[in-house]
Amino acid sequence: MKQLNPKRKKRSLAWLVCSALALLLLIWGSPLLSQTTAVAAEASSSQTVTGTSSGLTETEGILRVGMEVNYAPFNWSQTDDANGAVPVANSEGEYANGYDVQIAKKIADKLGLELEIVKTEWDGLPPAVMSGKIDAIIAGMSPTAERKEKMDFTDSYYTSDLVVVTLKSSPYAAATTLEALSGARITAQLNTFHYTVIDQIPGVVKETAMDTFPSMISAVLAGKIDGYVSEKPGAMAAVSSNPELVWTKFAEGAGFETSSEDTSIAVGLAKGSQLVEPINQILSQIPEEERQSLMQEMVDLNVGKETQSFWQEVGSLIQEYALMFLRGAGNTMLIAIVSTCLGFLLGLLVAVIRTIPIKRKKHKVGFVLHKLLCFLLSVYVEVFRGTPMMVQAMLIYYGSKLFFSIDMSSMSAAFLIVSINTGAYLAEVVRGGINSIDPGQTEAATALGMSHWGTMVRVVLPQAIKNILPAVGNEFVVNIKDTSVLNVISVTELYFISKSVAGSTYQIFQSYFITSVIYFVLTFTVTRILLLIERNMNGRTFVLQSTSVPQPVQVPKA
Amino acid sequence: MPSEHETEVIRIDHLKKSFDSAEILKDINLTISANEVVSIIGSSGSGKSTLLRCINLLEEPSGGDIFYKGQSILAPGFDERRYRGKVGMVFQQFNLFNNLTVLENCVIAQMQVLHRSRQEAEAKSLKVLEQIGLKDYAKAHPQQISGGQKQRVAIARALSMDPEVMLFDEPTSALDPEMVDEVLSSMRLLADSGMTMAVVTHEMAFARDVSSRVCFMDQGRILENGTPETVFNHPQHERTREFLSRYLKSVQAK
Ligand SMILES: Nc1ncnc2c1ncn2[C@@H]1O[C@H](COP(=O)(O)OP(=O)(O)OP(=O)(O)O)[C@@H](O)[C@H]1O
Ligand SMILES: [Mg+2]
Repeated sequence: MKQLNPKRKKRSLAWLVCSALALLLLIWGSPLLSQTTAVAAEASSSQTVTGTSSGLTETEGILRVGMEVNYAPFNWSQTDDANGAVPVANSEGEYANGYDVQIAKKIADKLGLELEIVKTEWDGLPPAVMSGKIDAIIAGMSPTAERKEKMDFTDSYYTSDLVVVTLKSSPYAAATTLEALSGARITAQLNTFHYTVIDQIPGVVKETAMDTFPSMISAVLAGKIDGYVSEKPGAMAAVSSNPELVWTKFAEGAGFETSSEDTSIAVGLAKGSQLVEPINQILSQIPEEERQSLMQEMVDLNVGKETQSFWQEVGSLIQEYALMFLRGAGNTMLIAIVSTCLGFLLGLLVAVIRTIPIKRKKHKVGFVLHKLLCFLLSVYVEVFRGTPMMVQAMLIYYGSKLFFSIDMSSMSAAFLIVSINTGAYLAEVVRGGINSIDPGQTEAATALGMSHWGTMVRVVLPQAIKNILPAVGNEFVVNIKDTSVLNVISVTELYFISKSVAGSTYQIFQSYFITSVIYFVLTFTVTRILLLIERNMNGRTFVLQSTSVPQPVQVPKA
Repeated sequence: MPSEHETEVIRIDHLKKSFDSAEILKDINLTISANEVVSIIGSSGSGKSTLLRCINLLEEPSGGDIFYKGQSILAPGFDERRYRGKVGMVFQQFNLFNNLTVLENCVIAQMQVLHRSRQEAEAKSLKVLEQIGLKDYAKAHPQQISGGQKQRVAIARALSMDPEVMLFDEPTSALDPEMVDEVLSSMRLLADSGMTMAVVTHEMAFARDVSSRVCFMDQGRILENGTPETVFNHPQHERTREFLSRYLKSVQAK
């Protein structure tokens, strides 16, 4: 196996959306924002300068390397440091290993830097390196022309050719030429060049592209397709973990035609990075044979265990990854609870501000300011209700670093994003709750001289909140499930963990089965508890009976 | 008449109020002096409620002025909240705070507006509730008492603030007939105690027997303003006679 294989050439769609929205934000262009742009430009230029003068990396002495930790044999996750694995900096108890990790270790070693592996979603890698959240991408990434526009790449550290993974029992298993695959139902990963090369097979039945390798493996095993296109290391890994599979050994010159841009992989760096030269130097000292044997070693390490039944597999997954699953579930619940509470407070505040009555005649300035504030608040509510939380996450997490140089941890970004998102939804719910309270009570309070705030806190909100409690509880349950989109900014919540377990073990169904059970247990328990609380509260109306025995009405004598 | 000027509590001067294009109050002039009970009668839609609501600034007047003890309540910087504390209001629909007990309904504004301590406010509320015959219901919730009791709690709530003036907007119109009397007696008691009151009402007997002055409102104007005897027996305007003839029987029946 001499080739390396580039990882997918997936265009960073999310990054595009991110830039587009950022642009939109700038076009809204209040004077404040144009100032922001200036500041941002300054910030990014100074960033490069500091990079040159004081050190090679964003943080002195540390080389932060981004990868998915979910792309065996290039990079995968395990639960201990066996076989030279490196701890994942942003996910406690998780270790990264694989070809990329070993290369990263060599590079960090020779540079005299401490290696830190930052687990990052594929789509999040380019923005992360561009904004300086990580120093380098070593993630089986090919230096395509498109990527080269935004990033610098080193020389290749591995090259690989393409093969087709199929069932051992398939008539196509023995194919040595593309012609022999004629009539086969073949697919490849979405948005990669793997999918385009399928057209080189004469008479092929090109199936819809799929999102991940694990899902393609499942499709082959289930007989939905005959095979999928993969680079050789990925194919070797798949075959190792799934003995029913084989990969086609094409004769010299009879396989797919590819360009070296597609089949080589390189280290991705920020534009103008000072690391290009030193890393090239280091890579040039790793000869081809060493690369091949390292890859073989990594593939062998990743070889699957003896075959087990479904429940045995689930059992051993739980045994091995229980802590990670629990940690993921814990983070999911933590984010959901904290963010629902904060979002609820935010929603209350927004709704109360929006209901402040200001007399136009008496407080002209106050009236205008309030109108303006209300307008801004409805922009907030509409924008956050009208855009997907996934996009907001990308925008806020990377945008804050890019434009304001605020380096949020992904966990605090998660709290922030889910809170303000929940706030936007609950602001409307609270407003509905306030409107459902008979305005006569507010009038009576006003007539007694009570302030808007005093009326809200003591009279309106207690009744409104009681009415909307079911809706808030519902939002909490929704949040438990919706935190899963935070995997795009590498928050180690339950879904993110499941994805890496699935990617590392290639036991997709088993992993997600465990995940869905956990999600269900969480939401079901919470729903029950909320129901209990609700029942309890409704019951209280009757508990609050008058303590005195009602007396016959005493009419005062006139 | 300097002596009368001294006891003037509310003076309404060329008051106008429009909603959008509709002019609901047209040039209202009215003075309410201390210890007076002024009944305001008139057909539905004539602007009686709007007038009361302008007096405690629940509605913003479109023109003219209102003076409280000689001071314009529309002047910039006038302390609206303190003033409202001095002007009690009782609504047709009671408008009790449904989440609070009877006692707490009376206590809350005393603490927030008059900054009384809880102890002080509770003592005051219990005293007023006792006077009005509802002390035993102090711990009850509004959902647990009758309409007549609710309205008396609303009166107690306003009285707990030690108001200078009490405004009533058809306090008995939403009540079942058998509960009207208990509320009217409470109001009568209050009038006898010397409270300054403005009462919008359709209870002609109350207007005739209890008030010191009766105003008849029609289409946003005060057409009659005099003693009950003058207004009921010698009205100046044809419209007043028409209006009264509809109520005459009921008044005479009493
Ligand atoms: N907030 C408002 N916006 C628009 N129109 C209003 C408003 N409040 C009152 N009106 C109108 O003003 C007119 C007078 O209303 P008001 O309630 O003062 O009459 P009223 O004499 O109290 O009648 P009733 O005996 O039925 O209570 C009515 O035609 C009513 O529709
Ligand atoms: Mg009315």
